[in-house]
Amino acid sequence: MSALICTISKYMILIFMALFTIKCFLYFTAKTKKKRARNVNLQVVDVFAVHFLCHLTMYLNTREMEVIWYYLIELLIAILYMVIFRVVYPEASRLIINIITFLMLVGYSMMTRLDREMAVRQFILASIGLFVTSFIPFLMGKLKTMKNWTVLYGIAGIILLLSVFIPGLGANIYGARNWIFIGSISLQPMEFVKIVFVLFVASGLVKAGTLRDIIINAVIAALFMLVLAIEKDFGAIFIFYITYITMVYLATSRPIFLFGGIALAVIAIVVGYFLLKDSLFSHIIVRVEAWLDPWAWPDGGYQLRESLYAIGTGGFTGVGLGNGKPYLIPVVESDFIFSAICEELGAVFGLCLILVYISGFIAMANVATKCKKPFYKYMTFGFAISFITQVFLNIGGVTRFIPSTGVTLPLISYGMSSIFSTLIMFSMVQYIYVLVSREGEKLDEEERDLRRKARAAARALAAADGSGGAYETGTPDGP
Amino acid sequence: MDNPEGRAFKEFLERKEHMKENNRLKNRPIVRLTYFFVLVFLAMFIFVVVFLVRDAEDTIADTGNRRQDTMANAITRGEIRSADGKVLAKTEEKNGEEVRTYPYGETYAHVVGFNDYGKSGIELSMNFQLLTSHENIVDQVKDDLAGRKKPGDNVVTTLDSKLQTAAYKAMGNHKGAVVVMEPDTGKILAMVSKPGFDPNEIDKVWEEIHTEEGSTSSILVNRATRGLYAPGSTFKVVTALEYLREHPGGDATYSYKCEGEGSFNGVKIICYKHRVHGTVNLEQSLGYSCNTSFCNIGVNEIKMDGLKSTAEQLLFNKSIPYDGDCAKSSFTMDGTKDKTLIPQTVIGQGETQITPLHNALIMSSIANGGVMMKPYLIDHTENVAGSVVRSYSSETAETVMTSDEAKKLQELLLSTGAYGTASYKFKNYRHKIVGKTGTAEYDNEGHVHSWFVGYSNPEDPDIVVSVVIEDSDSDGLTGVKVAASIFEAYYP
Repeated sequence: MSALICTISKYMILIFMALFTIKCFLYFTAKTKKKRARNVNLQVVDVFAVHFLCHLTMYLNTREMEVIWYYLIELLIAILYMVIFRVVYPEASRLIINIITFLMLVGYSMMTRLDREMAVRQFILASIGLFVTSFIPFLMGKLKTMKNWTVLYGIAGIILLLSVFIPGLGANIYGARNWIFIGSISLQPMEFVKIVFVLFVASGLVKAGTLRDIIINAVIAALFMLVLAIEKDFGAIFIFYITYITMVYLATSRPIFLFGGIALAVIAIVVGYFLLKDSLFSHIIVRVEAWLDPWAWPDGGYQLRESLYAIGTGGFTGVGLGNGKPYLIPVVESDFIFSAICEELGAVFGLCLILVYISGFIAMANVATKCKKPFYKYMTFGFAISFITQVFLNIGGVTRFIPSTGVTLPLISYGMSSIFSTLIMFSMVQYIYVLVSREGEKLDEEERDLRRKARAAARALAAADGSGGAYETGTPDGP
Repeated sequence: MDNPEGRAFKEFLERKEHMKENNRLKNRPIVRLTYFFVLVFLAMFIFVVVFLVRDAEDTIADTGNRRQDTMANAITRGEIRSADGKVLAKTEEKNGEEVRTYPYGETYAHVVGFNDYGKSGIELSMNFQLLTSHENIVDQVKDDLAGRKKPGDNVVTTLDSKLQTAAYKAMGNHKGAVVVMEPDTGKILAMVSKPGFDPNEIDKVWEEIHTEEGSTSSILVNRATRGLYAPGSTFKVVTALEYLREHPGGDATYSYKCEGEGSFNGVKIICYKHRVHGTVNLEQSLGYSCNTSFCNIGVNEIKMDGLKSTAEQLLFNKSIPYDGDCAKSSFTMDGTKDKTLIPQTVIGQGETQITPLHNALIMSSIANGGVMMKPYLIDHTENVAGSVVRSYSSETAETVMTSDEAKKLQELLLSTGAYGTASYKFKNYRHKIVGKTGTAEYDNEGHVHSWFVGYSNPEDPDIVVSVVIEDSDSDGLTGVKVAASIFEAYYP
């Protein structure tokens, strides 16, 4: 009987996942505010359905009461987050709240499946993250001068990055030196520097009036990446670089910066390959070779091979939560979580997840288009790009679309740095969303007001003259 | 007619329009980049779908995929059968537990393999197929609802039980290996390796080989594909081919006076049992397997670089095009090496090593007009009801010699059966036999391995037989005798 329920749950999870994904996109096509609100309200059902069915399956497979407790506490936190955010910031983007909650719950479910101890850690830290980052929109409302702190961002960013070289604090992990350890807590400073870097570039570009300013900005941005190169964190360099050139392109509207930037990167890679083949680049070469033929490289391709076995064995519908062998993939809980999801929940789930991330990106980019303050505009788009680039590197890496770079999957992978930094970014974008909504509403109000006055005046004139008419105007334009 | 409110509203609308236009220009990079990223993700999406639809099945059928074991939780492992319908391996319920049984025990031990302790043979290479069910969908749902295991697909091999049994019996208690295959298709009809083990008792076997005296035993090794033997005189086929290449038409002109022994590059070489063959041409040199004549060819007639490239064309030092685990044969001689190594090398006694399967392939290529077919063991897989799921067909591996060369070698090698070293068995046999014998010494006390590689019916070759018998000197069982028993079983 329980096997039957598990089988049915497996397909139900896929159905609810598909429904959730569809609603992520219906949101953008919905014409009226009311329809959008209905859409996101219904979406909440999908979020909790997937979460419930995952835990039901796990409980039936293990019969451990623990799973039920995990479920209830996770549910409570998720509801609290949704409600509090709604009450404190009534204008915040419901779609973004839903996406954050959904991805976090998928992450919790996978952690519970893979490793209970990790799940508890992840759960506690991520919940703190949810709580702490809830204050960010409020704080940003108070800090109106954020765009002037260019120097502070630059210095803070570089110091944070350099912290991994402090003896006793930093350490080498998987060939890259990008972790620090404080007591029992491990942090990846890069995750936070990502945010500082976007703020630095955005504020620098706002003030840049001449080419000289842009060059100074570029030199310091390059310094960030140089430190990352010494840390051998090439995934991070890629994210920083893409973020940087797209932000410059946005600020200048000149495609030359984009294409020039890409050309420069290609030259840097070629030169780097020939000059540093045996030192700095050997780390990359191993991964590229493993990517080209994972079966020819007994050690280097091992992780990727296991990942492909996992995705392939799972097939479109997965083997069911708890029935696979995701633990055969090294560090499955962080960088390779996507493969575990595909193996057990099915590739359909994984493919939908790709679409959910894209919709999160579009939601952020959408906020950026509506935003009129250059600093916030650049910042929002910078976050959007760094977010989606990271998703691309992660999913592309584990599916063998591109060589793997060892970055986490935002909001799902194990690791508090990654979750914290993603939550911070989304919270900052939420603030901009609120700001933009208010601006839009103010504008609408002004328009309504002026139209009313104009009509009244026209009517008065018409009454006096016996002629004239009312102005016909277009529909109000909401954010 | 002044209306200041109306003008204010108009101005507002204009301002708004202007702002919109401004913002639109400003937003162009965002819109373009958003489209770009959506496209990139779409490409990634399609990539994953293509992987699942096209490549996933082959990927996960890889023997390195340990996830296959989980499939056994839901599927009852399918049967392995011979081409003539004999069940070679099946899964049975005993006391509520699944047990893999092998009705023919040792006879098929290496080729079929075993399922525990890491798997081997067909049990390993077809593991995924055996654990995949193509039962019809209605029965699958029924099994699902009832919580029953689904029956896995059955694997039907190319093995012929008559030939396998004949080969197994003919080898007696000797160590060694036999490969029987169809030269024009590459189908492997029999593959025996001795000493054998009983796959039904794999627990005991495993225990035994992990004891101190058992640790040196190699009973689990499939000698047909993993056993590297000195080719002995069977290598003269390669030397003869090189001679024909360097001396077109040389088969008609070659002549050498054998005195039973001779010195070549300072190395003393004697013919088998010191026999004096007198004046021999190339055909007689092969037929009598005359060592001195071949040493003469090696030292005076051919180049070692040429011999190496011919050997490599015949897949020495190369991977054998076989889906299972097969060792690489090796040939190390070339023009730069010490000249005193030449005499031993050209008669197959040097550092050269070959597997019985590879030797069968070389002979198959001669039988098949120079084209080497890929050897294969699996004919098809079928679901529990007997409908074919996937058929495996024969594939050309490569052309290793011209059809003229193959024809010429065939003519020359008829001598072995007609009046040469295998005539004591095949002279008056009702089918013509083409082939080459070999005796490879492996120590200085006269202990030898005995080879025979050859085929029947040169007009339309039926089967190629490759036999190696270790310690042939102990009771006089030779490769030729074993091959004769196999031909006898094939032509009843």
